[in-house]
Amino acid sequence: MADTHQSRRNFIGTLISLAAGGWLLGKFLTPKVRRKKTLLTVAKSELPLEGALVYREARVALLRQGEDVYALNLVCTHLGCTVNVTATGLVCPCHGSRFDRHGNVLEGPADRPLERYEVEAGGEGYRVLV
Amino acid sequence: MIKDFAKHLFPRAVLQRDLTFSYTFCLGGLAFTCFLLLLASGGLLLFYYQPTPAAAFPSILLLESSVWGGAYLRSLHRLSSHFFLVLIMAHTLRVVLTGAYQRPRELNWVTGCALMMLAVFEGYTGYLLPMDQLALWATQTGMELVSIMPLGERLRAVLVPDGVGEPMSLLRFYVLHILIVPGAILLLSSLHFYRIRKNKGVLPYL
Repeated sequence: MADTHQSRRNFIGTLISLAAGGWLLGKFLTPKVRRKKTLLTVAKSELPLEGALVYREARVALLRQGEDVYALNLVCTHLGCTVNVTATGLVCPCHGSRFDRHGNVLEGPADRPLERYEVEAGGEGYRVLV
Repeated sequence: MIKDFAKHLFPRAVLQRDLTFSYTFCLGGLAFTCFLLLLASGGLLLFYYQPTPAAAFPSILLLESSVWGGAYLRSLHRLSSHFFLVLIMAHTLRVVLTGAYQRPRELNWVTGCALMMLAVFEGYTGYLLPMDQLALWATQTGMELVSIMPLGERLRAVLVPDGVGEPMSLLRFYVLHILIVPGAILLLSSLHFYRIRKNKGVLPYL
């Protein structure tokens, strides 16, 4: 066996670098997996077959066309006003952007479709996840 | 034991003149340092990479977006792979210009060439792994080049049993990239370093 003598300074240095290395490695190995948060819960019976529910406070609309249920973020992709949901589509009151019921742009100045949220259908109701 | 090993890497006595930096520019040693960096960063990347066509690219997005130091490690791996190749080429050039390939160092010239080719192949196999557009088409191009070589179709059938970027070929490139080729490089470079020591290190070449 080699000479086991080791100075105190060396020992402490080794200890500190091992601890720092272990800490950095642990940080690398624990990813921040973001859990989706439930923005709102809606009972299934509340959502009409070809209708929409608008939550202006949360700035989200839950829309349904037959079996297809989806949620649109009501923040206009132009400059961030809250768009109004009308019978035919969605209209932004600030600069007049118009979107169809799926959130696609019909008329500028907005150039991107409205953002969609994930909707999870479970048991009694729908949950909008952010 | 490590200290003893390091002690015996170098002869007991060397001429001061032979340790002049401009003699070798430490290019081989720097290339090997790059290789060690690649091993360390690659070993950490293994914790996140998933070698299936559907999950490969998302796993890299996850690494870059929500892993602490993930983007840093990936660019370190990529950058040191570039430097690895550049340094090996520069080292080859240095060996040619100083005439170090001559007797009695022929074996080291041969192992060095093999190491260079292995390094290029290692880079090529690593190129497919992110599974983005660049990776896919670059590998496709390489495979088309391979198939016009003599016996190229055979080689292609071994490397890519299904199409480029499909499950089996991705898995083969992965195994080659993380196990077979680095292992071969490690073995051959041990021989390379052993021969340097055996041939009396960096003593005058001519």
